[in-house]
Amino acid sequence: MAATIRRIGLASGWVLVSLISLLPILGIVVGLWPPEQIRFADIEPFLAYRGLSVSVLMTLFSAIFSTLISLYIAFMVFSQYHLSSRLQSFEKYLAPLLSLPHLAIALGLVFLFSDGSLFFVDSGLPRKGLPTLIIAIVIKEVPFFLLIFSAIGRQLPIKYWLLQGKALGYQDYRCWWFLVFPPLLKQSRLALLAATAYTLSVVDVSLLVGPNVPELFAVSVYRWQTSFAAGDQALAFWANALLLVLLAVSVLILYAHEKLAHAGCKALATKGSRFHIGIISPVFKAWLPMLGLLTAMMVVVFALWSFGFNLHRDNFDSFDSFDNFDSFALTQLTTTLWQDEWLFYALPLQNSLLIGLFAGLLGVAFALLALELQRQKGKYWPDYYWLLAIILPQLSMVLGWQIMHIWSQGGYHSGWIVLSHLPFTFAYAYLVLKGPYESVEPRYELLAASFGYSSWQSWWQVRFRLLLPAIFTAFAIAFSVSIAQYIPTLMIGAGRVMTITTEAVAIGTGSQQDLIALYVLLQSALPFMAFFVAALLARRFRGSMGGDNMGGDNMGGDDVRHY
Amino acid sequence: MATVNANQASKSVVTVEENSTQWQQTLKAAKGQSVYFYAWGGSKAVNEYLRWATREIAQQYRIRLIHVKVTDPSEPVSRLKAENGRSSAIDLMWVNGENFAYLKQQDFLLGNLWSDIPNSAFLAVDKLPITVDFGEPMDGFEVPWGIGQFNLITENSVYQQAQVSAKSLLQIAKHNPKKMTYPRPPEFHGTTFLKQLLVDLTDADSHLYQLATKQSQEELLPVLWQYLDQLHPHLWQQGKAFPSSAAEQLLLYQQKTLSMAVSFNPNQWLKEKSTQQISESSVRRYFTDGAITNSHNLAIPKSAPSPEAAKVVINFMLSEKAQKEKFTGVWGDPSVITSLFDEKATMAAHPELHSSWHVLIEDAWQQRYGG
Repeated sequence: MAATIRRIGLASGWVLVSLISLLPILGIVVGLWPPEQIRFADIEPFLAYRGLSVSVLMTLFSAIFSTLISLYIAFMVFSQYHLSSRLQSFEKYLAPLLSLPHLAIALGLVFLFSDGSLFFVDSGLPRKGLPTLIIAIVIKEVPFFLLIFSAIGRQLPIKYWLLQGKALGYQDYRCWWFLVFPPLLKQSRLALLAATAYTLSVVDVSLLVGPNVPELFAVSVYRWQTSFAAGDQALAFWANALLLVLLAVSVLILYAHEKLAHAGCKALATKGSRFHIGIISPVFKAWLPMLGLLTAMMVVVFALWSFGFNLHRDNFDSFDSFDNFDSFALTQLTTTLWQDEWLFYALPLQNSLLIGLFAGLLGVAFALLALELQRQKGKYWPDYYWLLAIILPQLSMVLGWQIMHIWSQGGYHSGWIVLSHLPFTFAYAYLVLKGPYESVEPRYELLAASFGYSSWQSWWQVRFRLLLPAIFTAFAIAFSVSIAQYIPTLMIGAGRVMTITTEAVAIGTGSQQDLIALYVLLQSALPFMAFFVAALLARRFRGSMGGDNMGGDNMGGDDVRHY
Repeated sequence: MATVNANQASKSVVTVEENSTQWQQTLKAAKGQSVYFYAWGGSKAVNEYLRWATREIAQQYRIRLIHVKVTDPSEPVSRLKAENGRSSAIDLMWVNGENFAYLKQQDFLLGNLWSDIPNSAFLAVDKLPITVDFGEPMDGFEVPWGIGQFNLITENSVYQQAQVSAKSLLQIAKHNPKKMTYPRPPEFHGTTFLKQLLVDLTDADSHLYQLATKQSQEELLPVLWQYLDQLHPHLWQQGKAFPSSAAEQLLLYQQKTLSMAVSFNPNQWLKEKSTQQISESSVRRYFTDGAITNSHNLAIPKSAPSPEAAKVVINFMLSEKAQKEKFTGVWGDPSVITSLFDEKATMAAHPELHSSWHVLIEDAWQQRYGG
C-alpha cells in the first residue's frame, strides 16, 4: 500500500514538473509557428539586411564577454571576502545592488557619467555604445554571481580544500584558482547560461545604452516582431530562428570555456608555472564598496528626481559652487509627486507583492521537487532543459502562451499571471538550488537514516534544513524575477492585472524624469526587501559546509570539520 | 493651408442623432460596462488626461474606463491577431498609421463608427486632414481623436528664425556641432524628420504624394542622401548613434546635451515649459513648407466585449468638454472638432507623403546609414 502511494506520488510529481518545464517549449512552438505562408525565399531580404553580421557578432560578443568578465570579477571578489573572516557575511550588502533593475542601472550610469551628465565631467563613456552596455550588464551581473557563489559555497568544503592546498605549500590565491575555481565554475554553469541568454535578448537596456548603428540584434528582432508592415513578420520569423541558433552557439561557447578553464587550471597547477593574477586580487576587495557607492549615488539621483529636482531648470546654469547647489536642491524639493501618485501605485504594488510571493514560493517548491525526483532517479537531466524559460526568446514564447490562453478562454485573473511567471521563477530557483542540492553532505542523511528516520523525515529534517540558506536566496531571486516580468504580465493579464512593473515600463518609454525615477524606486523596493530579509535569514542557517556559526539553531554550523 | 487632404466627399458627416432611439439604446446598454482602453502609457500628460476622462465618464455614464498602459502601439495589434476573432480583451484602442492599415485589411475593426457616434458630426473634416490615415481612408473604422504636427523644440538662441529649412539646419549643425540629431528611423519621428527634409530639398515635388515609382525614387531620393552625407558628421555622436525614441531625445535635450528635440504635439513645448521639464528659453520651430500633419485615432475591435460603452467613450472624447480639456489641460493636444478649431493652436499644415514613401525612406536609410 505504502509503495503504491509512493509510486503515485512520484508519478504525479513527474507530471507536475514536466508540465512546468514543458511550458516554454509549448510556448515557443505555438508562438513561432509560421503564421502566414513563410517561404524560404524570404530569408534573402533578411540576410541582405545591412549590418546584420556586425549586429549579430556584437550581440554575441557582448553577451559572452559581459558574462565571463562578470564571472571572473565575481570570483575574485568572492575569494577576497571568503578569505577574510571579518567580511564573511557580505551577502546582506548585496541586497541593494541586486534590487535595482537592469534598466535603472543603465539609466543611472549614463546620467552619472556620460556627456551631459550630472557631474559635467566627460568620463569618455559613450551615451550609446558597446562599452556602456557591457559595463551596465557587468555591474548588475557581478552581485548576481556573488549570490550564486555564496549559495554554492555553503555546500562545498572550501575551507578544507584551502587547508589541504596550504599544507602542500601553495599560497592562498593559488589554492583558490586551482582548487576552488573549477568546482565553483562547474556549479555556476546554469547561472552563466542565464546571464548570457539575458544579454543576448535584452531589448530595453540595448535601446537605451546599446550601439544603434548597427543596432543590436535583439532590438532588430523586437522591431520586426512588433511591426505589421508587409514583410516584417517574415523577417521576424527568420530573426527568431537565428536568435535560437545564437543561443545554442553561446551554450557551446560556455561549455568550451568551462573545459578550457579546467584544463588551464590543471596545467598551471601541475606545471607550477608562475601565476600572477593573485597579486592584483586585493583590488577586488574594493569592488563591493565601490559598487555600493555607485548604487547609492544612483538611488540618490533617482530620489532627487522624484522629489522634483531637475537639472535643466534655468537657474541651474548659474551655479558655481556647491553651497548654491545645496540651497537650490533643498528649496525645490517636494513630495507632491509621491503623494499624488500614491492612489495609482498602491494597488499595482500590492498586486506585484502577492503575485511575486505566490510565483516565488511555487517556483522554489517545484525546483526542489524536480531536484528531488532526479536525485531519487539518480540521473540529472541536461541543465539547459530546465532553464528553457530563461534561454528561449521571451517574446515568441509568451506569444505562444497568449495564444493558448486565448484558446482556453479562462479569463484574466491573477492566477494566470502567477502561472505565466512560474516557468521563470522555477528556472531561476532551479539554477540557484541545483549546485547546493547536489553537494549536500550525504553523511547527515546517512546519520538520520541510522537513527531510524523515514526518507521523508530525513528529507524534511535534514536536507531541507541544510538547504535553507540556499532556499532563501532562491526565493529572493525568484521573487524579484517575478516582480520584474513585464511581457507575460501584460500579454496574459491583458491589462486586467496591473503591477508596479507594467506601470514602470510604460512610464519608462516617456520622458518624464520625475515619474520615471519614482517608479524605478518603487520597482526596486520589493526586491530590496526580499534580498535583505533573505540575507539576514540565510545567516541564521548555515549550510552543511558553512563556516562560522552565526545563529543558535544551525544544523551544520560546527566549525571547520576534520575528515 | 490647413485644408489640405480633406476629402471633399466626406465633408458633411452624416451621423445618428444624440436623441435618437438608436443612441439611447447604446447609452442604456453601455451603463455598467467596463471599457479596456489600450493606449501608450509613457506620457504623464496623456495618463493624467485619461484619469480625468475616467472620472467624468464614470459620473456621466456609469462606465468604467480602464487605461491599459502599453509601451508600444503594436501590442493591441499583436493581441487581436492572436485572438483571431475570438472575444477580445480590448474594447477601445489608440491607433494610426500602418497598425490601422493592417487591422482594417484584416477586418479586425468595428465599422460605421462615424455614423453611429453622434459627436462625429462635429469633426473638422473641412479644416483638417482627418479622413485619411497615412493614405488609408478611415471609412468609419476609426475616429480621429487628436492632431499630430511635426515640430522641433529648440533652444531659442541657437534656432533664431521662426522656421527651419534643410539649409538652415545644416548651417546650425555646422556652427553648433554635436548638438543636433533625430530618432533612429524607423522610429516614427525620425522618419518624419527625413520626410520634412525631403519635402524641403525637392520643393515639395508632386510625386511625393503619389505612389513612389522607380523613376520618382531615382529622381528624388539621392538629394536627401547627399544632404545627410553632409549633415551626419556634425550630428550628435557624429551620426554613429541616434536616440532610440523621441522621448529619449527629449531627455537629452533636457540635459542640454542637445539643442533640439522632435515632437508631434504642437503644444508640447508650452506644456513642458509650464511644468519646468525644459528650459524657459525653449521655442517651437517647424519647417518652412509647413508641419507634416496627421491624426491619431480611436478604434473599436469587432470582437470587443463592450462595443456600446466604447462608442459612448468615443462620443465623450469628441465632446466639446473633453476636446477642450485635452487642448487646454496638461496634454495640449489640438482639437479635432469644428467649434474648437483654432488657427493659432496649429501650425501651417503640410500633407503626409504617400504611404509608399514611408517604407522606402526607412529601408533606404537602413541600407545607407543603419549598419
